[in-house]
Amino acid sequence: MFSRLLPRTAARGALQAQNQTPHIIRATPVTSCLQSRISQRRGFATPTEEKDLVIVGGGVAGYVAAIKAGQEGLKVACIEKRGSLGGTCLNVGCIPSKSLLNNSHLYHQILHDTKNRGIEVGDVKLNLEQMMKAKDTSVSGLTKGIEFLFKKNNVEYIKGTGAFADEHTIAVNLVDGGETSVRGKNIFIATGSESTPFPGLEIDEKKVITSTGAIALKEVPKKMVVIGGGIIGLEMGSVWSRLGSEVTVVEFLGQIGGPGMDAEISKNIQKTLGKQGMKFMLNTKVTQGDDSGETVKLDVEASKGGKAQTLDADVVLVAIGRRPYTAGLGLDNIGLETDNRGRLVIDSEYRTKIPHIRVIGDCTFGPMLAHKAEEEAVAAVEFLTKNYGHVNYNAIPSVMYTHPEVAWVGQNEAELKEAGVKYKVGTFPFSANSRAKTNLDTDGMVKFVADAETDRILGIHIVGPNAGEMIAEGTLALEYGASTEDVGRTSHAHPTLAEAFKEAAMATYGKAIHY
Amino acid sequence: MGSIVRRSACMASRYAPSYAARRGFNVSVRDEAAQNFTMPALSPTMTEGNISGWRVKEGDSFSAGDVLLEIETDKATMDVEAQDDGILVKVMQADGSKGVKVGHRIAVTAEAGDDINSLEIPQEDASASAGEPAKKNRPSPQDETEGGIDTTESSPSAAEAPPASRPEADAEAGGASATRPAAQKAEGQGSQGDKAQKQKYPLYPSVEHLLRQNGMSKEDADKIPASGPGGRLLKGDVLAYFGHISKDYPAQASARLSKLSHLDLSNIQLAQPAPKPDAAQPAAKAPELELPKETEVAVPVSLSAVIATQKRVQDSLGIFLPLSTFIARASELANEALPLGKNRKPTADDLFNSVLGLDKVAKTSRGQYVPQVTGLAPMPLAAPTKSAKKPDILDILAPKKALKKTSAVRPGAVGVTTGENVFSVTAKLGEEARAAEYLGRMKMALEQEPGRLVV
Ligand SMILES: Cc1cc2nc3c(=O)[nH]c(=O)nc-3n(C[C@H](O)[C@H](O)[C@H](O)COP(=O)(O)OP(=O)(O)OC[C@H]3O[C@@H](n4cnc5c(N)ncnc54)[C@H](O)[C@@H]3O)c2cc1C
Repeated sequence: MFSRLLPRTAARGALQAQNQTPHIIRATPVTSCLQSRISQRRGFATPTEEKDLVIVGGGVAGYVAAIKAGQEGLKVACIEKRGSLGGTCLNVGCIPSKSLLNNSHLYHQILHDTKNRGIEVGDVKLNLEQMMKAKDTSVSGLTKGIEFLFKKNNVEYIKGTGAFADEHTIAVNLVDGGETSVRGKNIFIATGSESTPFPGLEIDEKKVITSTGAIALKEVPKKMVVIGGGIIGLEMGSVWSRLGSEVTVVEFLGQIGGPGMDAEISKNIQKTLGKQGMKFMLNTKVTQGDDSGETVKLDVEASKGGKAQTLDADVVLVAIGRRPYTAGLGLDNIGLETDNRGRLVIDSEYRTKIPHIRVIGDCTFGPMLAHKAEEEAVAAVEFLTKNYGHVNYNAIPSVMYTHPEVAWVGQNEAELKEAGVKYKVGTFPFSANSRAKTNLDTDGMVKFVADAETDRILGIHIVGPNAGEMIAEGTLALEYGASTEDVGRTSHAHPTLAEAFKEAAMATYGKAIHY
Repeated sequence: MGSIVRRSACMASRYAPSYAARRGFNVSVRDEAAQNFTMPALSPTMTEGNISGWRVKEGDSFSAGDVLLEIETDKATMDVEAQDDGILVKVMQADGSKGVKVGHRIAVTAEAGDDINSLEIPQEDASASAGEPAKKNRPSPQDETEGGIDTTESSPSAAEAPPASRPEADAEAGGASATRPAAQKAEGQGSQGDKAQKQKYPLYPSVEHLLRQNGMSKEDADKIPASGPGGRLLKGDVLAYFGHISKDYPAQASARLSKLSHLDLSNIQLAQPAPKPDAAQPAAKAPELELPKETEVAVPVSLSAVIATQKRVQDSLGIFLPLSTFIARASELANEALPLGKNRKPTADDLFNSVLGLDKVAKTSRGQYVPQVTGLAPMPLAAPTKSAKKPDILDILAPKKALKKTSAVRPGAVGVTTGENVFSVTAKLGEEARAAEYLGRMKMALEQEPGRLVV
């Protein structure tokens, strides 16, 4: 065999040295001839076969749209480059993080809590590798499930990286090598988001990590610094803190949980997480990082200027947010615009200025949440098939899966003050709830914010055990325009945590019974 | 009747006043067959629009779903569809009219089947011209039922509100219409509108309590203007009806919430078209995006046997077969059932199929390689080269490097020599052996038995 392995860039030089005047040609006639033959033979989506809908991106937005479109009888293809479906959420986001949160909580509880409950466990050991395997099993089970649903709903799954060749054609660089192209009457862009890098720190996913590295660390770091005290930072910080890391969260703003979290709730959860061992530095900014040594050094100072300090960490988690991801999509080829934060510009029906191209999920406006992506996917398909779809952006819940959990929907106090709306507040602490007391799990509270005049619910904010499940009731109430009285007059089973929800509603329009 | 519109059959049910819902309780409007058709609000933030063009001519009838006209706003151009059958009696704002305020009359319509010659053209609604600073006359109850945005800050006077002490009497007198001004305002801003309507669903617990505690029955709920989602009656509506809170407050609150229920797309700041390499570079750094490392695999191939065959064919059959034909056919053969790259794990698809017993996990797959041929001395080739202009997929996907490469190709300088040429392909990490196998087969096919490629 005469073949030689040459690095791509070196190839030209090597050849040049051997030969005086080489001519490099791309055998273009060959290419075109081969392309058409191959595509015929493989029964690929040839350029002549047009789909009703082509979706770029197989994340939550993309796969839900694909399945929904399949159900509505459209001829649909979904292009995903990752090698598995489900996008950020299933592969490196919601699902793996929740697996680690659940199992690290169990571990932490066995270590620190079960003894008080009369369960004595001998030698408690962490097998991190097995914990990661359990996570991977959950992930692969779910992503394969989606592939199954694709088959069931006649969705063609194209594994590769898609890029706009023209307004109706997506050229695909296949994962398995080679390329194809597919035409669509309609095209959805659902390419999602990526972690925003921190200027000055090189992400290697080992020492300096994003959430993707944080769900796959090989050992428990001694010291971990989390830059950014938003939901992802606090969740991943919780995991490693429970497994034994000394975790410090550095947050630029004056509160953790991000600006959507109600300030009172944020203070409450910060106290609880602090008791669990996490440290917080609020109103603090990282000015500079140095990852050249064994550990990572971070210079921090008070946001408004103040004395500087250097933090030292084995691992630094960069969790300062996510940004839309559209690299390599060939937006320039068709002249699509993004705004100054990289979001693809759409109208209220998710259309770009090229009306048959729509955008859904993290790569456009709105909160970067999986269930928001899912709602938009369904609505966008309904615009195609039924001319009307709708997402109520005022009733999209947010959940942080720490322990206790934090969940909210609607507006918080600060937002209502800014809007000049008169409101009233009712709260109920879990320490007065019979089930929470029985469970010895009483941190947190339920808080209602309602219109002062009409009693209509404007926001619900919960910190407490199972808050993430409980918020579903709040979302339903908000969707229906319910008043706190409507919730308070609805029977809730006893003894449940949900009774705290009902009593907080009663406390808003009248008085709670048990407090 | 009808004349009420939807934006692509959708938004208007939320934003445009729904005539259908209205006629049930206001007889006078229903009998007057010609209706004013006002500029609809096609988004929560829309205050005015331009008429790009009418799609229906005066005197023509239209059916539900027909596009009546096209309206242009600062954000988009949208079709307005008819929600019911009807006739376009008169166009009041002709094609090209600019800055027509939401709620202002743009046409007059009639019900399908009406004799439009005998119809009277109704007056422009008083409320519709409310945008003008000096409001001349109070809206008459009848006019009030036509949705229009009230941009003046006037709220209904106390006299108009139903006296809290006489709810029944008020309801009889058409309690709904008395609160219209508030409703108009809400509608213009995108609420669901607040009209009294039949409550199809079970009443909310708070609503039923308030009714009973005030000596009313469940049926009375249908008489109270409702501001909730889908026309549902809320606690606040009942409180307002009994005069406990301001009459127009529930509708205002609904309008505010309805605005929150949509993405705010009103203030989009477009990204500056940044210098391209800079914009692309930082993104390419994130590890998720890293392209697999690629290697170029090359093998020298002599084309003398091919050229001999080419000559033989031309001499004996008089057909000129371009070299590209030989190469293409060789490539097609060589791509058949190539060994998989060592990094290629069985895909979920493979696994899933093998779990179901449909397939074995494959060891080979068809390749997609296309050779690059580097000639040693230039020699014109008969094959046309026009496609050199068109960027191929690699150029599109990896514009930085590949585009440069394309531009380096000199038109016409297609050099393939009789002697040694170098055939090369780009192999992904782990696929070097697969690429080498392909090139080995190419070499074999082109050097040993090129005749078989063309028979
Ligand atoms: C650690 C973490 C935890 C999270 N937890 C939660 C949570 O608990 N709850 C929640 O609601 N949300 C959570 N999120 C957010 C959630 O993951 C996202 O909102 C959601 O995944 C968005 O879906 P999407 O389809 O818009 O984008 P993505 O899921 O990012 O999917 C986009 C897909 O498109 C593919 N793609 C991109 N470009 C191309 C191309 N050119 N060709 C082919 N394919 C392409 C990508 O490979 C990707 O798979 C979390 C995120 C992270 C990072």
